[in-house]
Order: sequence, then structure tokens, then C-alpha cells
Amino acid sequence: MSSTIVETSNLTKRYGQRTVVENLNLSIPTGSVYGFLGPNGAGKSTTMKMLLSLIQPSSGEVQIMGQPMTRGTRRKLLGGIGSLIEAPPGYAHLTGAENMRLVQRMLGLNRQQVDYAIRAVRLQDQMGKKVRNYSLGMKQRLGIAMALARQPQLLILDEPTNGLDPAGIEEMRTLLRRLAGDGVTVMVSSHLLGEIDKTANVLGILSGGRMIFQGSRSELMVASNPDVRITCSNPHAAAVTLKSFSARLTDDGEVAVPGLDDRQTAGVVAALVGEGFGITGVRRQEQTLEDVFMTLTAGGGL
Amino acid sequence: MTARAVVNEFAKMRHLRVGLVATIMVIGVLALSLFAVVSSPDFDPDSPQAWNALLAGMSLGVPLISPLLLAVLASRQTDIEHQGNGWLLQSTSGITPGGLCRAKFAALGVIVTAVTIVTSLIVLVFGKVLAGILPPAPLGHWAGFTLCMLVINLAVLALHILLSAKVENQLVALGVGVLGCILAVFSQGLPPATAHVTPWGYYSLAQAAGYQGDQIQAMPISYPSIAALAVIVGLVFAVLTVRFDRQED
Repeated sequence: MSSTIVETSNLTKRYGQRTVVENLNLSIPTGSVYGFLGPNGAGKSTTMKMLLSLIQPSSGEVQIMGQPMTRGTRRKLLGGIGSLIEAPPGYAHLTGAENMRLVQRMLGLNRQQVDYAIRAVRLQDQMGKKVRNYSLGMKQRLGIAMALARQPQLLILDEPTNGLDPAGIEEMRTLLRRLAGDGVTVMVSSHLLGEIDKTANVLGILSGGRMIFQGSRSELMVASNPDVRITCSNPHAAAVTLKSFSARLTDDGEVAVPGLDDRQTAGVVAALVGEGFGITGVRRQEQTLEDVFMTLTAGGGL
Repeated sequence: MTARAVVNEFAKMRHLRVGLVATIMVIGVLALSLFAVVSSPDFDPDSPQAWNALLAGMSLGVPLISPLLLAVLASRQTDIEHQGNGWLLQSTSGITPGGLCRAKFAALGVIVTAVTIVTSLIVLVFGKVLAGILPPAPLGHWAGFTLCMLVINLAVLALHILLSAKVENQLVALGVGVLGCILAVFSQGLPPATAHVTPWGYYSLAQAAGYQGDQIQAMPISYPSIAALAVIVGLVFAVLTVRFDRQED
């Protein structure tokens, strides 16, 4: 089996003059939970639709399970891909069971496959109810059951926690972990890092249609390179001394210096000592992953 | 479009009251046909013209009832895709939006075909058994009329499926259906050239009998016009459903 289940190269989508996704090189390792992050309008749904060949790229290409995804190959490849894009699907006038029978017939599935999907989302006691009487969480779970029934190798979920309450979000996380444990590669998008950072082991961050980060959680923290905070005597004068490093005085009376690597940090400290400042503390600013995400998506890149 | 997709369309009809709408179509046309007989003071079951009263009743009943009820059928069957995110669900299963429209046409087409033929047969049986019309029925003319009404009904159904798929607000489709009823009925009083302009006008070109002076007479059916409608609407439906397949949001 290939080590990546999804690869895109220079994937671009333009609508007229407007570029929605630009030169995207996505790489999703087989068996991972890939968190696809970005603010609303970053191009996440458009990218996912291109992966599923629901819309055609303006340029670039998509490889899924080692094969190019095109109009010609999509029908065959979609047999191995479950997806939930935009709103959860479901015919409101039919019961959950009737909806699942539609999927079963459409994909030529057997009863066991459908039962597995229903049990996976713990909806077995609600199948006799009409979908119009489902809560949003139940609709999301039914949508995922529809996607899971084909026992896919790849599951693509577009903001599956949208509109869910905290219990529903936690339930979704548990489900994704369980699926990943069963060997399904999951790509899940969100505009809120906190919703998926506990579940995803690979993150891709999209901003303005461009991929600004792709890698693990720890790589993201390293790559984000937080400010160095220096506690010293006469911080005001120290900030002036380090003006060429864009240093600034913080509300806590510390000197914050952005963009320094470890070697540069040592140099800055030595320079301050040389100028006669008493250094009492040097540390990297503590950042949550959420802070990193917000900084990246606001600033447009690392 | 696959056979599975068509079978699924029948499965989706559950709880949509398609059977009720189809029954109203049959009963409505039947009632108007029988009314034409009952209300005609000149009706004579021994006269060779007796069948024309029933044909005239159907020629009025079908255009008066069908356009709106076809709009209702197409709208109910298509709106569920808008409401349930069905277009995307089907697309991710390999059934394109155009393919889904074709499956809907095939499934609803079976219903409309059954309704049109059953209505025609019931009126024929009524004429023979209940009204006791003695002269032999003009079976050729009757069959031709039924076939033409079927073709027009299917053409209108196809156009309504496209409209309901394209325009999410189904009030538009139902409004067009009401307009269709008006155009279908009033086209009977307009010159044939005018009737060719809209699909509903073709109901008047398939009129099998009607008043000529104060007598109900058999009327020639414009078969070439109906055939042309079938070809044009068939092409439009094929082209637009292929375009739906390639359409992006």
C-alpha cells in the first residue's frame, strides 16, 4: 500500500479572476487523521470537492490511492471514498432505515455493511424515525453512516462538528479515533483548531486558498517560532537597544523579540549583557496551538 | 442513469403522496369527460358521434388538469434533493445531477404513462358499458389521441423536472404549472401557429374532438407537431441534463 492515500500537485481552482485554491500540494498519509484547517472561505470545501471530482480543478491534479481522480475514474474511485460535504444528507420524509436502504441499493451493498455503519455511529435505535424528526447531531451521524456503509479506505468530512453541542463534538472525536483505529484514513476539515487538534495527527492549514502549513502538531509549534520574552533591568532601554530586531515592551514589563532562532537569541542576550543590562529571565512565549493557528491564518503564512 | 437509480426514485416516492396526485389526475380527467356527456343535451348513445362527446371531454380535461399536477409531481420528487442535500449525496456515489434528473424522468414517466393510459381506457370502458354507446369506438383515433396526450404529458414532465432542479424555490415551478393550465386551455381558441409556441399549447393540437358550430365533431390530430415536440423536448432534456453534469457551483 502507498504511504500517502491523497496527493495533489499544484491544485488550483479559479472562478473567473478569483482564485479560490492556489497551487495546493496536499499529502495525506495512509491511516492518518488529517485535520484540514482554515478560516471560513479559505478554500477547504472547494479543495474537498476537487478531491472528490465534484468540481474540476483549473490546473494541477489529484491522485487518490495512487490513481488520478478525473471524471473518467471518479465512479470507480468513489467506491472507496466516503464523504460528508456541506450539510448532512438525508431525505427528511423518509426514515433513517429507508435512507440507508437507498444508499445500500445505490452502491450494491449487503445488509452487514449497512448494519456496521449504523452501529459505528450508534444510531441503531433511531432508524425507524423520520429524518425530519432527527436532531442535527443525529443527522450528522446518519450522514457519516451513509459515508461509512461502503467501508471506505478514505473518509472525507467537511466540518462534521458544525452546529453540534459539546457532547456531540466529543462523540464525533471518539468516532473519528475509532475509525482511524480501524484503519480508515480520515480527512476532516474545521475552522476551529480546538475541535480537531486532539484527534488529528497530521494538520494542514489553508489560508486564502494557499497551504501555509502541513505537518504534525509538534512541527507546527516549532515552525511557528514564538516571540522570545526577556526579563531584565531597565526593559524600556533594552527595547530601544534591540529596536533593529523589532523588539517591543510588553504590558508585563518584558521585552518581546519576534522571529529569533536559538542562535540569534543567544546573540541578543550576549549583546544586552555587554551593554550592562541585568538579565533575569529568557523564555519563549507560551502559545497554545490555537494561538499559533490564529497567528498563521491572520498573517497568511509562517 | 442506472436501473438502481430509477428503483431508488420509486423508493423515494414513499410518503410523497405521489399515488394521491396520480389518482386526482385520473379522477379529474374522468369527471370532466363524463361531465361532457352528462351535460350534452344532444348526447345519443345510438349516434356514431356519441364517442366524440367523450373525446371532447378528455380533450378539455387533460389540458385543464395535467399541467398543474405534472408540476406538482416533478416538484415533489425534485425538491427532496434540494432539501436533503441529495445532489451531493448522489454525486459522491457516482450519480451525477443530470443522471439523477434522467432517473426521475424515467420513474415519474412510468407513473404518468400509466395514468394517461388508464384514464383513456376507463373513459372508453365507461362509454361502452355505462353510457351504452352502440356504434363501434373509433379505436384508431382514440389510440392516436391517447398517444399524443402521453407524449405531451411526458414533454411537460421533463421540462418541469429541469425547472424544479434548477430553481430551488418550488413556488416558481407550481406557478409555471398554473400558467401552463391557462395556456393549455386557451390555446384551443387560438390559431394553431400560436399553439406551437409553448409546450402547453400542444394539448390543443392533439384535440381529438370539439364543438364545430353547435355539433361535437371529431377533429384531426396534428401528429407531425406532436412528434416535433417530442424530438425538441427530448433534445433539450438531453442537452440540459448533460450540462447539469458539468455544472459547478
